[in-house]
Amino acid sequence: MRTSMDKLIKASCILLLISICMMLTGCEEQILGMLNPKGLIASEERKLFFDTLALMLIVVLPVIIMSFVFVYHYQASHKIREYKPNWHHSYFLETLWWGIPCVIIFVLAVLTWKKTYELDPYSKIPGFTDQPLLIQAIALPWKWLFIYPTQNIATVNDLVLPVGQQVEFWITADNVPMSAFFIPQLGSQIYAMAGMRTRLHLVANQTGEYDGMNTLFNGAGFSDMHFAVHVVEPEAMQQWVAQTATATAQLNDEAYIELLKPTIGNVAQVYSGISANLFDDAIMKYMDTIGTIHPRGNTFMTSE
Amino acid sequence: MQENLLFGKLTLDAVPWHSAIIMGAGASMVIVAAVVIFAITWYRKWSYIWNDWICSVDHKKIGIMYLLLSGLMILRGFSDAILMRSQQALAAGGNLGFLPPEHYDQIFSAHGVIMIFFVAMPMMFALLNIAIPLQIGARDVAYPYLNSVSFWLTFVGAMLCNASLVIGDFADTGWLAYPPYAGIYYNPGVGVDYYIWSLQISGVGTLLAGINFIATILKMRCPGMTLMRMPVFVWASLCAMILVVLAFPILTVTLALLLLDRMFDMHFFTEFAGGNVMMYVNLIWAWGHPEVYILILPAFGIFSEVVATFSQKRLFGYTTMVWAIAVITFLSFVVWLHHFFTMGAGAKVNAFFGITTMIIAIPTGVKVFNWLFTMYQGRIILATPMLWVTAFFTTFAIGGMTGVMMAVPPVDFQVHNSLFLVAHFHNVIIGGVLFGFFAGIIYWFPKAFGFRLDEKIGTWAFIFWVSGFYFAFMPLYVIGLNGFMRRVNHYSNTMFQPYLLVAAFGTALVLIGILLMIWQIIFSIKNREALRDTTGDPWNGRTLEWSIASPAPFYNFSHIPEVHAIDAYWDYKQKHLAEGHVHPQERNYQDIHMPRNTPAGFIIAMFAGVLGFAMVWHMWIPGIIGFIGMIATMIAHTFNTDTDYYVPAEVVRKTELAHVREMI
Repeated sequence: MRTSMDKLIKASCILLLISICMMLTGCEEQILGMLNPKGLIASEERKLFFDTLALMLIVVLPVIIMSFVFVYHYQASHKIREYKPNWHHSYFLETLWWGIPCVIIFVLAVLTWKKTYELDPYSKIPGFTDQPLLIQAIALPWKWLFIYPTQNIATVNDLVLPVGQQVEFWITADNVPMSAFFIPQLGSQIYAMAGMRTRLHLVANQTGEYDGMNTLFNGAGFSDMHFAVHVVEPEAMQQWVAQTATATAQLNDEAYIELLKPTIGNVAQVYSGISANLFDDAIMKYMDTIGTIHPRGNTFMTSE
Repeated sequence: MQENLLFGKLTLDAVPWHSAIIMGAGASMVIVAAVVIFAITWYRKWSYIWNDWICSVDHKKIGIMYLLLSGLMILRGFSDAILMRSQQALAAGGNLGFLPPEHYDQIFSAHGVIMIFFVAMPMMFALLNIAIPLQIGARDVAYPYLNSVSFWLTFVGAMLCNASLVIGDFADTGWLAYPPYAGIYYNPGVGVDYYIWSLQISGVGTLLAGINFIATILKMRCPGMTLMRMPVFVWASLCAMILVVLAFPILTVTLALLLLDRMFDMHFFTEFAGGNVMMYVNLIWAWGHPEVYILILPAFGIFSEVVATFSQKRLFGYTTMVWAIAVITFLSFVVWLHHFFTMGAGAKVNAFFGITTMIIAIPTGVKVFNWLFTMYQGRIILATPMLWVTAFFTTFAIGGMTGVMMAVPPVDFQVHNSLFLVAHFHNVIIGGVLFGFFAGIIYWFPKAFGFRLDEKIGTWAFIFWVSGFYFAFMPLYVIGLNGFMRRVNHYSNTMFQPYLLVAAFGTALVLIGILLMIWQIIFSIKNREALRDTTGDPWNGRTLEWSIASPAPFYNFSHIPEVHAIDAYWDYKQKHLAEGHVHPQERNYQDIHMPRNTPAGFIIAMFAGVLGFAMVWHMWIPGIIGFIGMIATMIAHTFNTDTDYYVPAEVVRKTELAHVREMI
């Protein structure tokens, strides 16, 4: 038995080393998720992640260490004299391990309450007083449509954001199962549901190209439902808006119905001249439909 | 028209003849079944199988059948895991891997459904069946016939799920079949119907088993076993069964509403006409979160038994242990929303559910410390059950830690739906539930079968399992933090590939672990004479099940024991060591009242299977036959008055004396 224990300890050490190496090998540019945040929300979330980790380790580390030490030390073959077969209760110890976790969880609960309010996707980002840039995002059968209502332009699978400016997303879905909108390096994810509007506030701190995606499994095209996020300087943003406004493709009802057909791995597209209330209509279409026929007929299955 | 009523939507095209993987898997299932049937016929064992097993109401035999079912299904569920890990390891950059989405999506859905419903649940009921009546000094469960119904319904549910592999499709929705994707508009095939019917049938079985065990534990304890003298495994199981009885009706109703949506165009969970998709998500997790605790509580119970036995020391803090279980039981019902913080409920709701979730960490932590201090100043014997417990401490501590981290809503906004989440729940379900059940199986194996499992092969299986587990899931934490989502079929960023290759390597190690376990069982059966447990108490146990022969005689206890303390058998051994035992020859034996075997449970379940399969394919005539057959068998059984008999005292005496002779 002793040998198997020693083997076990060796194996665990090797494993630990390997996992630490794996953690460290990813270089900065390769890290895409919240470990390499490019927006205020994501960096707050990253900080909170590590704060929670540290708080939890106060208990978890001693547990892991004690488990190995006790199992190793008190083996019957080690012939240790201290053996208390009937010792089964201690007010002091039990108060200690009800008490310490209670204190840690209390601290964590206070932190959670505070941060959940602060980082609520629906509320404006603290410290930003300016009017947010509004973007309406619609999850379509395996692509994303982004409408810039004030600018009267729209894009598919391509999102351009100004650096340093608060952006408010209104999100829904149309003719695709429940999905979720997520740009890991900028901040939170939120569900996209047909007939409902969810909201999300984000701000980017740094220009660059980031990956955006759907995170909620919604059928055959799920894995390719990514979009490119370009965070640019405000001037470049204005330039891009002006340039896009000259696009010939118009997002009228016909073009939108075309977009409702399922496609996988769509190329980026741009539109100018958005039909009025497109986003609200997409939601109301579901709210207003009664009977047994889906608001989108049967365009999901037939075109697949 | 008549053909339609008979065959519904089912045609020969429902069998995916063109898919090599599916046909291969289907063919191997058919071959295995054929070999088993041939072997039974060849050795003329049909009457033995029918009388002694299929019709049996003996809780120990039903437990063994549950164990066999979960053993078979873990092979299927693990094959799915191998396919998924290989697909993700290959499908980087432009490579699409070898599994197209329509197949891959069914695989990850089937993996989840099988592992939870047809591996973990049967394994739990196997251990409950084998151990609970023995631990409380009872001769069977409260309702032996109901127990047989429960098992066969679970079995039929599992078989229906397997049938979907070859005839038609399984759900491609993920293991919880969220609408609207599971609704008829996005998913007109039979996959979701297979999902609904196999879970409905096995779910009824689970609910009945829950009722049965609550009644057993509350009403069948032997004299002197007060609630606060029950072994902790019994306590944990009682709480888990209370959760079953409270939570499974939610699942049944939710799936029934989804079925109404699909079959009769209703609008409970549709996106339009007043349906509410998030209502399904709320309801399914109102069942789904307690479900996790239904699995982990009995595992906690096993750890408590195993730690005390193999530390040769009384369990530390029995009373706090019981209270911790009770607190967890209550809290498990008020945390379900943490599975979907990202639906946009607002800060107040999210913060509330985040905090209730992290509060569960307190009683759970208390239990871990109690186990640790049971080992402290004990005399630990590192037999294989104890090895699993040792590994459990670290895996569960990591899994619990990541769980609390995800309970913080803003953190969850980042890691929700990512592989970080996948790593977390495998961390607690493999590292907590499965390791616990493995420990329990090895621990009670001699009591069920009469011989121990080989320790050496078992140790190697353990080493491969645990190291494989770390290789398979630690990389997933890392890439999960880097925005790699669950259920992804292929990905363009090749940076993820090395991590997924390591994960696939880990899966290969687990495969070796599983093969070693199979070899361990075969080897132990071959060498069963050398491994035979003649004493009935191979581990120097503390609870009543070790006071009788191994395997336990069919009537369990020749005399109903009387209990004077916690750890009743340990207490007895301490007090009576000096006095010496009463020789069994001189004891006064009495007739024992026992339940009679019945085929009713099996027949009811088979009709339920016909009903389920028929309804999947909208075959109305077979469906009506299945339903009427089921109800008629139930009613017919109520007229059967010959449900019990007496074992003559002489038979009991002979059996007990044979055990004593073996001991000497």
